[in-house]
Amino acid sequence: MLKRLFSERPLRLPHLKPYVPRPSDPSIFWFNSERNDIVSDVVNRICGAHEPDRGRLEIALNDAAYHEIRRLEKQRDDEARDRLGYWRSMIRRIGKMDDAEQKRVLNSIVTTMAQDVAGNFDPRVYGFARQAIPRMIAGLMEPRRFTKGFTMPQSEVLSRVLRVQGDIEHLNHLQSEGSLVFVPTHSSNLDSIVLAQALEVSGLPPVIYGAGKNLFTNPIISFFMHNLGAYRVDRRIRVQLYKEVLKLYSQVMIERGYHSLFFPGGTRSRSGMIERRLKLGLLGSAVEAFTTNQVRRVDRPIWFVPTTINYALVLEAETLIRDWLTEEGKARYIIEDDEFSRIDRWVAFFRKVVGMRAACIIRFGEPIDPFGNVIDDKGASLSPAGETLDPGGYVERRGTPTVDAARDAAYTRELGNVLADRYERDTVLMSTQVVGHVLFRNLVQQTPGMDLFSRLRLRNEIGINRKLLVKDIGEARDRLMELERNGAVHISDVVREEAPDALLEQALTFWNGYHNATAASPQDSDIVVGDPSLLLYYQNRLVPFAERIADSGQHKAACEIEALGVHR
Amino acid sequence: MTLRVGVLGAGGFGRALAMASARHQHDVVVWSRGGRDLPNTIAVSSDIEAMRDRDLIFLAVPARHATSAAEQLGRVVDGRHLVVHVSRGLIGEDLKTITTVLREQTAARRLGALAGPLVADALADGRPSGAVLGTRFPEVTDMVREAIGGSEMRVYDTTDVTGVQMASATVGFLTVILAYAQGVGADAGPLAVMATRGMVEAARIGATLGAKEQTFLGLAGLGDLLAVVAGDDRLEARIGRAMAQGADPRHAGEQAGGYFEGFEVAQHMIAHAHRLGIETPISNAFVAVSKGKMSPEQAKIALMQRRVGTE
Repeated sequence: MLKRLFSERPLRLPHLKPYVPRPSDPSIFWFNSERNDIVSDVVNRICGAHEPDRGRLEIALNDAAYHEIRRLEKQRDDEARDRLGYWRSMIRRIGKMDDAEQKRVLNSIVTTMAQDVAGNFDPRVYGFARQAIPRMIAGLMEPRRFTKGFTMPQSEVLSRVLRVQGDIEHLNHLQSEGSLVFVPTHSSNLDSIVLAQALEVSGLPPVIYGAGKNLFTNPIISFFMHNLGAYRVDRRIRVQLYKEVLKLYSQVMIERGYHSLFFPGGTRSRSGMIERRLKLGLLGSAVEAFTTNQVRRVDRPIWFVPTTINYALVLEAETLIRDWLTEEGKARYIIEDDEFSRIDRWVAFFRKVVGMRAACIIRFGEPIDPFGNVIDDKGASLSPAGETLDPGGYVERRGTPTVDAARDAAYTRELGNVLADRYERDTVLMSTQVVGHVLFRNLVQQTPGMDLFSRLRLRNEIGINRKLLVKDIGEARDRLMELERNGAVHISDVVREEAPDALLEQALTFWNGYHNATAASPQDSDIVVGDPSLLLYYQNRLVPFAERIADSGQHKAACEIEALGVHR
Repeated sequence: MTLRVGVLGAGGFGRALAMASARHQHDVVVWSRGGRDLPNTIAVSSDIEAMRDRDLIFLAVPARHATSAAEQLGRVVDGRHLVVHVSRGLIGEDLKTITTVLREQTAARRLGALAGPLVADALADGRPSGAVLGTRFPEVTDMVREAIGGSEMRVYDTTDVTGVQMASATVGFLTVILAYAQGVGADAGPLAVMATRGMVEAARIGATLGAKEQTFLGLAGLGDLLAVVAGDDRLEARIGRAMAQGADPRHAGEQAGGYFEGFEVAQHMIAHAHRLGIETPISNAFVAVSKGKMSPEQAKIALMQRRVGTE
């Protein structure tokens, strides 16, 4: 009951007097004063689109009732007890309702949805969170210093473990000129926490983002989520109107100049590969926000910041790769029983990570406009020839800015392709990924003609001579450095600076002792592959580069590895 | 409404596109150093600046010149321009499409690729013809139809931009194979088998690059090959016939009066397929013959003796 109270009703701190934002405050500080206006804007636009057409309106109401009844019948919980009756009664009456009643019902449904989605922003909670969260993480990493953590001015542990790369100065300049939309890769549920920390240490503004409703079931996380501008996304709801509310909410926020964040991959990369197939819904909302502003002659630029989040050790690696390898994985969108939900795994993870230099690297890529053009220091879009462009030209039809859903969908798709290419270029390869790849490639070489699943069953059967392995790691690293010089990818300082045998040793230390399975272990003069699926997860980050870092003897195995990524 | 149409290149297709647009009363400028045989209703300029005020620009240069032409175009176009190319080819080992090149070299995003059994003379003269336009932008389709479409020219559209360009490039080298086979007196049956199976090979490769297999069976693929079999006298057909008369494949292009990129395209497609474990027997045989590693007769025997599979 208590859990439901917290998850369904946002807990907010009482206000004795309203907070008046200062001009220097980030845009999100204005959110609470605009919240009702934003919700109304969303409701009015959706109702305005459906109301003129009775047929469309009826379909929308039927769709909402049908999907909600199906969902609630399956859920059989308190929400079902409260709401199932409403929807069942409504679906019987839709056909008999007159126009006015249908419009009233639509308005009521959309308003409820928009209010449920909309977040809240409390500057006091923000002020507390920016101080406390890094120290809590540092405390988890170094329990001996936990009590001291809250009195320390700056967490050294965290700055050692988390590295931020990219042209921060450029982003800092752009944040005051337009809306920034951060679009990161997604590997772990820790992503939003580490990204928030990266924004904080870089002096970049806080952002609004959609968080899965499953995260709101924990009362503490729910409290922070509710009060730090997050909007709630209930992935169980299949109603078309709900999808429209989510998309439009994101669009309206971006139109109004709120900096945003969403993960275009939609869900965590199960395979560990760099995402290529992006979900275009929210990406499209940002493109449409740009178009709408242009049509309304609002000159507010929107820039996308492709961002990669790179971990040497992934909290949920074992669950994710298992999910990818099973048929079940294709249908499971939300995993509620993974390592993220277990505090003992968090503690084990952070204890392991504390010994790692730059265990997580966040790289902010070069910002681009909605059409994939790079941005100069002053915020102007540039053509490949270096000429200044008017991005408004992209949404003009014979000289007039127009809203055109089909055109904007095509731009969104193009933007998705640009982001996927950027992710590849801006990926920072970590020691565990490079070592994992070389080990896995050796496994493939030693098992010619075998399919992936047969290989994954070879536990503790394949040994690789340590000296040869170290030589392979060194050569792979040299070729990766060459790719880095050509701008194809990045490698971490650890990979660049450490000796190959030290990289191997580190990777083994990181994997073994945190993951339940043993990825690989030394045995006499060999390194024996333990659980190939764990190696597969880490090596998958190198799939697009496999052929380019292989010599002629490794070429066939590299091609097989690269083929894993054809339909990724 | 009068459109401002620009055409890059005054070869067979450039000229045909310019004449078709002018016939529809549009304001046409051709960018070319020569501008042969063009009526005086069409302006010719050798200055790329002439493209800056155009609404729709056709890129009609051979694929090997596409990158440099796109680079020049990149200096004058922006987000307002709609650009469509008619080049038949893929660039480099990674099989880059011309629309990708345009995207890399210019700021234009509303792009398209026009392909299919588009016969230059028929287009220029206003005789009935048809084509397929690969574009994700409905505006591009509307404007191309307005520029050159009508009762004499049917322009179909598809959003499979990659598929259209890969199918079109494949037709290039399959045309050589078919014309060669016709030249040495092959029966209708083997011709049909080679055309169909060759296109299936290309479709398999295309699917790995995001193309839809059915596009290869439409106007851009098999439809275009039908035009070849029906007698369309294009460069690739002349090369195939020259080979049938004993010309060295490496020099057949010169004899036929042009440069043919199909050998390189086939080679790159095979390399890509090989990396992914896809079988490409017809393309392999074509490349082996073109490099002099196999005689056409040996290629025929090798293909006919292969194990037969399920279609």
